[in-house]
Amino acid sequence: MESKWRKIWGLIGLLLLNFVNNVSSLSLTITKVDCVYEIVRSEGDIVSGNFVVVDHHIFWSSDHPGIDFSITSPGGDILHNLKGTSGDKFSFKAPRSGLYQFCFHNPLSTPETIAFYIHIGHIPNEHNLAKNEHLDPINVKIAELREALEAVTTEQKYLKARDAVHRRTNESTKTRVIGYTVGQYILLTIASVLQIVYIRRLFSKSVGYNRI
Amino acid sequence: MIKAMTFPPFLVVLLLALSTGPLCDAIWLNIPKTGTKCVSEEIHSNVVVLSDYVVVSVEDGQTATIAVKVTSPYGNNLHHRENVTYGRFAFTTEEAGNYLACFWSDNRTRGSGEVVVNIDWKTGIAAKDWESVARKEKLQGVELELRKLEGAVEAIHENLLYLKSREAEMRSTSETTNARVAWFSIMSLGICIVVSGLQVWYLKRFFQKKKLI
Repeated sequence: MESKWRKIWGLIGLLLLNFVNNVSSLSLTITKVDCVYEIVRSEGDIVSGNFVVVDHHIFWSSDHPGIDFSITSPGGDILHNLKGTSGDKFSFKAPRSGLYQFCFHNPLSTPETIAFYIHIGHIPNEHNLAKNEHLDPINVKIAELREALEAVTTEQKYLKARDAVHRRTNESTKTRVIGYTVGQYILLTIASVLQIVYIRRLFSKSVGYNRI
Repeated sequence: MIKAMTFPPFLVVLLLALSTGPLCDAIWLNIPKTGTKCVSEEIHSNVVVLSDYVVVSVEDGQTATIAVKVTSPYGNNLHHRENVTYGRFAFTTEEAGNYLACFWSDNRTRGSGEVVVNIDWKTGIAAKDWESVARKEKLQGVELELRKLEGAVEAIHENLLYLKSREAEMRSTSETTNARVAWFSIMSLGICIVVSGLQVWYLKRFFQKKKLI
């Protein structure tokens, strides 16, 4: 009797391994258009994710048109379309299983680096419970708990990417302040020395100061 | 859309077999015919990284081959394979920084389409080997699942602490930049005054020497 329960728990454990869905956050450098594909195993899964454009500083102008982002379902319809963003979160319920396409489009010619994270969460629902007697309601609750934790992790990846962008801007500001100020001092000194030299030349005998 | 790609039966079986393990839900990337496609992640030190890659596009009955190279932020080569269709690499990060994994298609593939690669990239808690933990602590079923949830919560906690420390660093950088802007502006005003004062003094001396004033 004991070993039978152990076998059942073992089977449930193995079954639950199927529900561990996770992908680490990656950065991709896109030039014109780049797409990432993901397979959604069953319809009704919640697909959530976010992306942040990491190096987003153009030297002179501060308004970059942004990146266009679109999600295409396996049937070909566009589920989500964002134009001109520098980062966003998305979450939707997959209408069908299959290959989903997440495309980034860069309107400018400079390559941009994008950090993205996509998570597909699956919770075995009551329908599956009725079909499969081995599935205990507690496993549904555990799956829901896991999905809640994954939502927190997704948010953290987004915050981490935003923090990285902010840090880059800050460090660039720091080096710009030092660089431009020291350059300013040097230029000022050189300009005034040149002024003095020019005035000296104006008054020097060889040029003929009688004219002045 | 993915062009020129068919699924041979053995690949379907392989994908299904692999899908029962941790390889489910990897991302697929398009490797262009020329040039490399690189994915990177900024990882701190002492983190386990585990990744599997499989080529999924088939042209003319042959699976296309790719070359892979993984480099650490200091430039060390962690994994380098040429002319392969699948592989796996695992390492523990020693230095914190940007880890880069680059893929390019080998010239031997004669097709005109792009190669599609299935990459499963796991770091930290997702790369943990739960089988050995289950065996060591003799957990199974619901206990193992709760243990995994506990691991996930610990990872969230660590991430929060990391974000907090980064924010503290950034705050100190912002404050020093703020102080520097103020000081440097005042100093530039001071330098301007000093330089013009020197100019005036020098010119006065010069004209006095020239007996003009």
